[in-house]
Parts: sequence; C-alpha cells; structure tokens
Amino acid sequence: MSFEAPFSATAMTRINILQGQARVSAGPRVEFSTVLGSCVATCLFDPDIQIGGMNHFLLAEPPPGASTGDFDEHYGVYLMELLINEMLANGAAKSRLRAHLYGGANLNAGLARIGTKNAAFAHSFLASERITVVREDLGGNNARRIDFRPAHGQVRCRTVENTLVADTRPTPRPSLSRGDVELF
Amino acid sequence: MSKTTRILTVDDSASMRALLNHALTSQGFDVAQAEDGEVALEWLALNEVDVVITDINMPRLDGFGLIEKLRAGNRHRDRPILVLTTESSEEKKTRARSAGATGWIVKPFDPEKLVAAVRRVAH
Repeated sequence: MSFEAPFSATAMTRINILQGQARVSAGPRVEFSTVLGSCVATCLFDPDIQIGGMNHFLLAEPPPGASTGDFDEHYGVYLMELLINEMLANGAAKSRLRAHLYGGANLNAGLARIGTKNAAFAHSFLASERITVVREDLGGNNARRIDFRPAHGQVRCRTVENTLVADTRPTPRPSLSRGDVELF
Repeated sequence: MSKTTRILTVDDSASMRALLNHALTSQGFDVAQAEDGEVALEWLALNEVDVVITDINMPRLDGFGLIEKLRAGNRHRDRPILVLTTESSEEKKTRARSAGATGWIVKPFDPEKLVAAVRRVAH
C-alpha cells in the first residue's frame, strides 16, 4: 500500500464508514472515509486481487456488574471478523491481507483510556490472526480523518479538529438484538 | 454430580476461539478447539464430545461441510451442533438447518445465552 498514484478527488464515490460498520469494495473509484477520535479504523487490502475494506469500532463497555475487565472485546472481535469474512467472501486470501490501523486517540482526560484500549485491542487481534500491519498512526490527542481507496490500497491520514468527531461513547454491547439462540 | 460437558469449538479466528474458550471454561465446561472443519473432523474421529459449536465461514472445510459430514457418519449423527456465525441471512440459516444443525446463533455472542443454549442441548 502506497501513494503511487496522485490522490486526486476526480469522480470518486465517497462512502462514510460509521462507528459499528465494516465495508469492502473493489470499485476503482470508491473511497471510504471516516473521522476518528478514540475509535480505531482497520483498513485491509489484498494486493493480488486489488480489494480492500475498512471497519470503525469502539470497544463496548461490559454490562454493569460484569467482571470481564475494563472493556468488552466481543464487539471489536465481531467487527474485525465481519471485515475479514467480507474480504474472504470477495476472493481475498487471509495470508495476503495487509492492515493499516488508525485512530485510538485520547481526546480528553475523561476518556483517556479508551483510545489506548482500542489501539491495543486492534494490535493484539491482528497479531493473533497473523495479519501484518504495514502502517499505523495511533494514539496521541488529536482526531484523524482517514480516506481509503480500497481497490488501490491507498490511505491518506490527516489530523483534524477534535470537534469534527461524532459523539463517541462506548456503546453497550448489542446483546439484546444479537447473540439470540434459535434452536431448530 | 453429573460429569463435565465437553465442547468442541470450531472457528478460524484465534481471537474468537479465545473468547469462546474463556466464556465456556469459566462456566465449568471442558473445551477443545479446532481452526477449521478439517481439523474438527480429525479431532472428532478420535475424541468424544457432547456439543459442537461451529463457525460457518472457514477455509478448507466450512461449517456447512462439517455438519454434513458429521451427519453422514454414524458416530456424530445425533451430536448437538450449534452454529455461531456473523451471517444473518435466512438462506444461510435454512441451509444450516437442512444440513442438520441443532441451533443458530448470530455473533457477537452473549456468553450467558450461549451457555444456556449449550446446557439445553447437551442433555
């Protein structure tokens, strides 16, 4: 992944990736964009078949009274798996995947640990899945805007005003609508 | 006192296997892990288990293939098999059901609901 071609804005279809989403595309004129505070975005790219994908997550807080540590990894694992599965379903090979990680900033003292926790989670997840991280821009105190062209593997990461970040609070784990068991 | 329920979890994601292992062993289950359908078949040929929990999207042999192969043989024809997947399509669910799955759970899983389901199907 590199900037081998000029990053021009001609006739691109821009798709915003919101918190909790994962999208994959091989469209040559598609650009995924997202603004990150303490959230982390993972960009995956398979150079052999020119396909890429991006997710955007914030680790959920565990249910009240739970003793599962400070943050619940279920939601992060889910969004990572969703992204990887979508890549594989479109012909990518896990062994060829290259990752970029962005975000995980600590925008204010009250949320100080969230960005760091998100970044650490993303790192450990990719390490355990044996996916190589080729570029990262994590941590710090500033919001970032990420523009990713999935079919080219090109990423542009810029610092932006912290006020541009959507209200990002750890969402409760979506256990009410997910995880339901249906026995046949 | 009944004996410990033995579970085989089948998932290509090491992170998901770790989450499942934690959720199930902390409730007293005996958990073994396989990284795809082929590994699961090899393990199941030699080991006894009470419940199988399997992902759908996996390399080599996917969850559908695993269920079909287990149901085709004698040894695991009646074994409870829970599917745990990111897939939410009705078509995939129907396919799992006709392949012989016992239940269907959409990720991200809720540990309490998963444990309750395992206890219910394990007899």
